[in-house]
Amino acid sequence: MKRPPYRQHCWLLLWSILCAPGSAWALQPHSAPEGLYVHQMSHLLFMGALIYLYWHTRRTPELSGRGWRYLQTFCLLFAGWNLLALVGHEAIKFLSPGDFIAKSSWNEQIVGPISPIKMVYFITKMDHLLYVPALVALVVGLRSFSQEVLREKEQ
Amino acid sequence: MNSLPLLPANIVDIIGSSLAILLSFLALYYARILVRTEPNNFIWGFLFYFCVAMAAFSLSRGVGHIVRIFLVFGGQGALWKELSPYSGGFNTMLIISTAAVTIYYHKGLAAYKAIRSEAEKLSEANSKLFSSAAQLKLLNTHLEEIVDERTRNLSTSEKKFRKFFENSKDIIFFCDQSGYLTSINSSGRELLDLDPSLERVSFYDLFARAEDRQRYVDALQKNGFVRDLEIECRGRGGTRRYILFTANTVYDQAGTMVGCEGIGKDMTRLKTMTKQLINREKMASVGEMAAGVAHEINTPLGIILGYTQLMLDDYHQGTDAHANLEVMERQTKACRRIVADLLKFSRQADSVKAAIDLNQLIEEVLAVTEHSLNIHQVRVIRNFDPHHPEVIGDAEKLRQVMINLLNNAQYAMAEDGGRLFITTYSQQEEVLLSVRDTGSGIPEEIKSKIFDPFFTTKEVGKGTGLGLSVIYGIIQEHGGSITVESPFIDPESGETISGTAFQIRLPLSEAPKQTDREHT
Repeated sequence: MKRPPYRQHCWLLLWSILCAPGSAWALQPHSAPEGLYVHQMSHLLFMGALIYLYWHTRRTPELSGRGWRYLQTFCLLFAGWNLLALVGHEAIKFLSPGDFIAKSSWNEQIVGPISPIKMVYFITKMDHLLYVPALVALVVGLRSFSQEVLREKEQ
Repeated sequence: MNSLPLLPANIVDIIGSSLAILLSFLALYYARILVRTEPNNFIWGFLFYFCVAMAAFSLSRGVGHIVRIFLVFGGQGALWKELSPYSGGFNTMLIISTAAVTIYYHKGLAAYKAIRSEAEKLSEANSKLFSSAAQLKLLNTHLEEIVDERTRNLSTSEKKFRKFFENSKDIIFFCDQSGYLTSINSSGRELLDLDPSLERVSFYDLFARAEDRQRYVDALQKNGFVRDLEIECRGRGGTRRYILFTANTVYDQAGTMVGCEGIGKDMTRLKTMTKQLINREKMASVGEMAAGVAHEINTPLGIILGYTQLMLDDYHQGTDAHANLEVMERQTKACRRIVADLLKFSRQADSVKAAIDLNQLIEEVLAVTEHSLNIHQVRVIRNFDPHHPEVIGDAEKLRQVMINLLNNAQYAMAEDGGRLFITTYSQQEEVLLSVRDTGSGIPEEIKSKIFDPFFTTKEVGKGTGLGLSVIYGIIQEHGGSITVESPFIDPESGETISGTAFQIRLPLSEAPKQTDREHT
């Protein structure tokens, strides 16, 4: 059987890399902001996934009813929380230690004048006001599913 | 605004983190119920793993936040600085995990839906299979009963129709395409006198006349049925019967004639009775007319005879006038005899009735006529019943009956002679007299006329045609009946014998009975 011609090119390239090394390409160094970027990207990924879940459950006829409506609410709220968290993480980058007084204490405050960035930071600091209602919607939705399933089983 | 305190945000953070942990685990609890209740449901499985990821994330994040606040505010900021990357990394990993679970949800759902669809189809097929199996089982269980019941019903129906077929007094028959009988009931076999030994009998061969057969076949082929068609049929022994047929053509699925089926009603007796009734009426009318004529002619004939006899005294014997008057006297007396016979036929003659031994009366007649019969080579065979009771009648008239019958027999056997059977026997309240010759017989077409006055087959001058009419009148006067059978069929052997048999029935009592005259 005749070999495809590109195989010979692949072998040639591999030998060239192994026999004539330049800089070491084996390991890539990770600088400090990488963790934050990954975290922010994870928020974006999670937000996209939730919006997708919302969109898919809306367009699937089999997934209708009270429980699914609460689950869709959860998706929207939690996607919103992801966005809020992402903004909060970005906002903190624009603040310096001088913008705070009594830092690391219960009396910690943001020093005035309160700019929009500082206000955004303050608001995003209270992200649980979105996080907790989203989980409440998730709990109520699952509770509806479970009640429905148990009722059907009894019948 | 100079400053913005972060205490509310920290309090919200602590309480929110705690509530988030609680709620995420509550969600996990309900998801677990779903999975346990319906473990094969993919959506519940997805929600369960989603909730696991969410609970892990909430726990990690919530604990992290609370720990951060308490460590940092408690002066352990350095420690938190050590822990912070782990907490953040862990949170990031869990967020990605949860997102990954969510992203791959639709593929799982599509697969689940496909599997569920196939499972539903399989379930439906199983359900149908189960239902079919149950039905088959039920059918198998009751198959024997159903077959038994249907066989029983079929047998009952078959018996009912078989009984109707066999017990019917009419002919019921089935023929094949060629007209051969495939089935016929016992009445049919009896009425049509079929030979039981024959395997194949052609229905059409039973028809006495070819034109009747053609009419029957044409009607079946043209109309598909025959209604009330009277056919004269001929049995095995030559017996003839008049059958009224109603029949249908039998077709196959292609519409081709494959045979016929029908019913036949015996009309012979009805036809005979009708003939008898017509003859009786005719003879009654003829009798009345004959009586009227006889009465009217009798008186002038008496006067002519009286004057002729007076005139005979006026001329000497041997003269021409005397000879002429003798001819007149002779012919007038002949006319009077004819008139007397007419009166006897019309039962107007006087009778003197007494108890008569019929055997003795016949012997008296034979004593006079047997010699003449023997000369004409007619041998008389007597078969008298010596114990039959006497009949009440006019001996003179009954003698005349015998003389007329013997004369007719002699005439019928005039050419080659023959045998004359005279039989007497009693039956119930009647005495039967049978006179049978082996002569030429009576043609069928004149059988109905032989008792008519002046009907004769003899040459002119050899008979008046009143012999049988006189017999008929006398027998009727005695309350009896006379029947004629020609040719004669031997009742024992069924053999047809050439000749004529007259059978006279005379009642034992004086009371006159309804008279019958039959031609067979």
